[in-house]
Amino acid sequence: MLKISSIRSFLESTLFVWIGLTLIITLAGNTLVLPDWLQVVGRSHPILLHFPIVLLLMGLLFFWIPGIDKKPEIREIGEISFLAGCNFAGITVLAGLILAQEEYTGEILTWHKWAGLVVFGGCVILYFFRAMQAKVIRISSVVLAGAIIATGHWGAGLTHGEDFLLAPIQSNNIEVVPLAEAEIFGDVVLPILEAKCISCHKEGKIKGELRMDHIEGLQKGGKSGPFVLAGDFEKSLLIQRINLPLDEKKHMPPKNKAQLTDEELLILSEWVASGASFEQKLVTLPAKNELYQLASVKFEGNKIYSFDAADQDDITELNTSFRSVQPLFPESPALDVSYFGISAFPPESLSDLKMVNDQIVQFSLSKMPLAGIDLKFLKDFKHLEELQLNFTELDADQLKVISELNTLEVLAISGNEIDSESLQNLAKMKSLKKLYLWQTGLSDPDQKSIQKSLSTTEIDFGFDGKGIIYELNSPAISQAELIYQDSLELTLSHPIKTAEIRYTLDGTEPDSISSAVYSAPIFVKNTGKIVAKAYAADWKGSKAIEAVFMHSGITPSKFSLVYEPNSKYKASGAATLFDLEKAKTPNLGEKWLGFQDEPMVLEVGFEKNADKPKDVSISLLYSEGSHIFPPSKVSIQGLENGKWNQLASTIPTPSTKASSARSELLNFELANTNYDKLKITLTPLAHLPKWHPGAGGKGWVFVDEVIFNK
Amino acid sequence: MEKEILEEGLNHNRRKFLSRLSLGVGSLALGSLLVPDLFSGKAGAEEAMMNALPHFAPKAKRIIYLFQNGAPSQLESFDYKPLLNKRMGEELPESIRGTQRLTGMTAGQSSFPLVGSHYKFNQYGESRAWISEVFPHTAGIVDDICIVKSMHTDAINHDPALTFFQTGAQVGNRPSMGSWLSYGLGSENSNLPAFSVLLSRGRGNGQGVYSKLWSNGFLEATHQGVQFSNSEDPVLYLKDPESMSREERRKMIDQIAAMNDLSMQQFNDPEISAKVKQYEMAYRMQTAVPEMTDISKEPESIIKLYGPDCLVPGTYAANCLLARKLSESGVRFVQLYHQGWDQHGNLPNEMRLQAEDVDQASAALITDLKQRGLLDETLVIWGGEFGRTNYCQGKIVVDNYGRDHHPRAFSIWMAGGGVKSGMVYGETDEFGYNITENPVHVHDFQATVLHLMGIDHERMTYKHLGRRYRLTDVSGKVVKDLIA
Repeated sequence: MLKISSIRSFLESTLFVWIGLTLIITLAGNTLVLPDWLQVVGRSHPILLHFPIVLLLMGLLFFWIPGIDKKPEIREIGEISFLAGCNFAGITVLAGLILAQEEYTGEILTWHKWAGLVVFGGCVILYFFRAMQAKVIRISSVVLAGAIIATGHWGAGLTHGEDFLLAPIQSNNIEVVPLAEAEIFGDVVLPILEAKCISCHKEGKIKGELRMDHIEGLQKGGKSGPFVLAGDFEKSLLIQRINLPLDEKKHMPPKNKAQLTDEELLILSEWVASGASFEQKLVTLPAKNELYQLASVKFEGNKIYSFDAADQDDITELNTSFRSVQPLFPESPALDVSYFGISAFPPESLSDLKMVNDQIVQFSLSKMPLAGIDLKFLKDFKHLEELQLNFTELDADQLKVISELNTLEVLAISGNEIDSESLQNLAKMKSLKKLYLWQTGLSDPDQKSIQKSLSTTEIDFGFDGKGIIYELNSPAISQAELIYQDSLELTLSHPIKTAEIRYTLDGTEPDSISSAVYSAPIFVKNTGKIVAKAYAADWKGSKAIEAVFMHSGITPSKFSLVYEPNSKYKASGAATLFDLEKAKTPNLGEKWLGFQDEPMVLEVGFEKNADKPKDVSISLLYSEGSHIFPPSKVSIQGLENGKWNQLASTIPTPSTKASSARSELLNFELANTNYDKLKITLTPLAHLPKWHPGAGGKGWVFVDEVIFNK
Repeated sequence: MEKEILEEGLNHNRRKFLSRLSLGVGSLALGSLLVPDLFSGKAGAEEAMMNALPHFAPKAKRIIYLFQNGAPSQLESFDYKPLLNKRMGEELPESIRGTQRLTGMTAGQSSFPLVGSHYKFNQYGESRAWISEVFPHTAGIVDDICIVKSMHTDAINHDPALTFFQTGAQVGNRPSMGSWLSYGLGSENSNLPAFSVLLSRGRGNGQGVYSKLWSNGFLEATHQGVQFSNSEDPVLYLKDPESMSREERRKMIDQIAAMNDLSMQQFNDPEISAKVKQYEMAYRMQTAVPEMTDISKEPESIIKLYGPDCLVPGTYAANCLLARKLSESGVRFVQLYHQGWDQHGNLPNEMRLQAEDVDQASAALITDLKQRGLLDETLVIWGGEFGRTNYCQGKIVVDNYGRDHHPRAFSIWMAGGGVKSGMVYGETDEFGYNITENPVHVHDFQATVLHLMGIDHERMTYKHLGRRYRLTDVSGKVVKDLIA
């Protein structure tokens, strides 16, 4: 059986193997040529390193167990694990040294390498001097633990990046460089070099004798030649090396390092092409330049202003329910001010803006009633670029003030009348890039002349609708009630102010010449129908719209139905017919009485001494799709001396096709008024016509009101 | 020795474990009392993030989203595929369809006959974009818009697809895009809600819209979309009751606010302060909304621009006009929904009617914003929740067919607000079935929209139920090619 003591002595002796190898590689340094298979060993460094960390720290912990000296078997465990840790430390250091040959350079590597060596050396020494005083051992163990942690930290820095560990608690404010200030080299090119090149070309590790961590180094170039030559791709080694095939030994960055992206390649090439300047600003490049376009995306078009920001308290104070004052973007001193809410516009509040005279860059007062307000204060806005004054009732004096604002780039004054004098003033605004002149009453020659004077300005005259002829919407008819008792007011309206409304009250369709023109509400005192149409210049006349109104002069004193209405559609019985409430078409059961199997036979009586009605109106529903048809016959009889006499009758025109549900009014004039009672009979259609899906079945009659007038 | 081991074991009983555990929990609690933000991540991270909004200079200040609810067919609007006419009635090749799942409506179909557009296509503008004959007005503004032909989505049915487009997730508990923008950027005009919603219905086969689409989700209730209706009261419950004066109303709201402040101090529930803000907003809206819905001051040319329908409340044209008025008044996000685009059958007839209702007004909105100098700062989006299949649903009858839902490729357009104009982006295969170039996923689209508003979609988040949420969920890339 394997004895613990033999394991221990084996491990102690291998320890010396590692020490020897470590010494060789460390001292030989870069002159060593390592075979490929050793690279595999080197690359196992990140796996191996976990063993010594755990084993060594565990072993160190045993030194701290109280009374460990009196428990040799426990101390033994600690010592063995510590010894194993020492061995793994040796292997890890070896692997690390091999790996370091491959790709890593930099200050952080130096720290990691030497800390690793210290840990290895330290733990070996501690192991062999483990019999020393407990106090000394404990102090050394703390130091060693510290060294292990430091080594690990630097190592992690190599793999994950220097700030990896502390990044979450460090403030990560990235300084925003405004486009106007961005330098081609400093802000666009250098970050790429820093990320992909400088780790091998800097103080302490000047590969190819090229230093890239300061400008002088770049200007000087390396051992093979100049780093860059303005505009010369062939002689600029930068361009040459980054464009070599990846497998080429001289390809940069080296094969196993992070490579340049296509965008970065393009940026570096464009930089050299554009002169490889170390000072030039990005904005000096033409806007079409590819480098400019690529880089400007990075800076998000954050336009920079040189003036100071306004006081934050002032800005807060200026923000009210009717006014918004906002920076163009966070940290920009430039302000965008807008007014909202026509009814709540306080003109005196404009003077508050003095506080931010210097900062206002965009200003909108669109739709605010500015008539008679002195706009000279706008001249104090030294940096005003965009002004929106659509529909603000500007006059010539105000327009003159506006035309003198020479910092303006965008001006919107749509919806304001512009006279010829103002037009001449506007024509002087050469700084304008965009001008909005829709709905300003300018004639075609006017438009041409201003476009000619401001040839570089984009002018929008908008849509004037000329030559487009649409049909007008029908006017709206409003009336308080459909059935009224004394008189009724009818109001007609149209949303287009210039529209003329013509109407008739005799049921005929109005025309644009002879029919009455609506000017004021119409009062009616009878039962009838109003038909109205709208007309306007440059529009086609509207479709006719109509509405009925019913006058109810006499209310019967008695009424009864001979046959009950259909049980599904009985509403409140006969009383429904005299409630003076016109039913809406869809509510069949609530306000309409329906008859199918039996006719409607209604008997009504009137006060003895009162006038007897001469006119009868019956309001019916037609909806062929729902089998509701005009009655086949309507008759009205009067009881005279105990005998029923025919006083009026009609056969309504039968439907020939299905139409949507609609209400119809049948009017009758009675032959005489010598009756005691009236009997009104509506006979439903016995057989639905052939064209109807329910042909042959019975039709329905629906009735909601019966109205009597003198 | 054995006894000791046994005792040791017995001593480690549950009571002891729990009492020790309580010590640990107690010290945690003590720790968190001493350092209140110990367990809440970076102190005030949410606030710091909000203060930094917008993250960079926005290209657009406001959005008008013309949502075409029901999914208009891309093959009869912007994605011209003559091959489908040439191979009319032939079977959709398996190689093109691939593994695409189908809806329950056509999954059982034994054949998938290709069907070409009933309408003619023509090229327009400097971009030479193909547009079908039923969108003549849109063709007229083609150089002001950017048509994206390579949209694709994850969902295949209306509800999840709509919800996905609006909230970034297919299940309906997340804040809508408008709510996110209200949360991130607030309202420009404190008299109107930052997020307004307008509905209209076309003459084609319709699909429902529901208030979850403009829900604030887990954000504060003030970020919910406010629906404007076409009734006498455009915003419900906004009018004062008869005989109540403005002053009385003011007093009442101040009193309620004072009482709410008391309970706020007591309970510190953010819902209470949200309530106070809502009362205040409603009070201000009482004067601001009538101004909005009054069209009597609009010039006659505007009526001709949008078409006479814009005078009929509740139509798409009237909503477009109202949308412009709201947007012009600083409403951050105006969302329109126009129903009726679900042409499973009778497409040639219905789509013409649908296009008639929306084409003129959509184009008018662009022209109108442009002539006021507002198009540069207003982003307008037109599109549905997915596309439609290149094969016929059911049998092809002469001059009549229908199309099923198709999430793999469809078209939308955008205009203004920093979007490149006069551009057609993305391409589909000859069958109009798969994207061949520059795909834009719904999350990419959302990321791009937020980017135009000056927001980094990855940085605008809200912590809810222990995790941070964002509009684009966990994906989405800004499509830089679309940005001017």
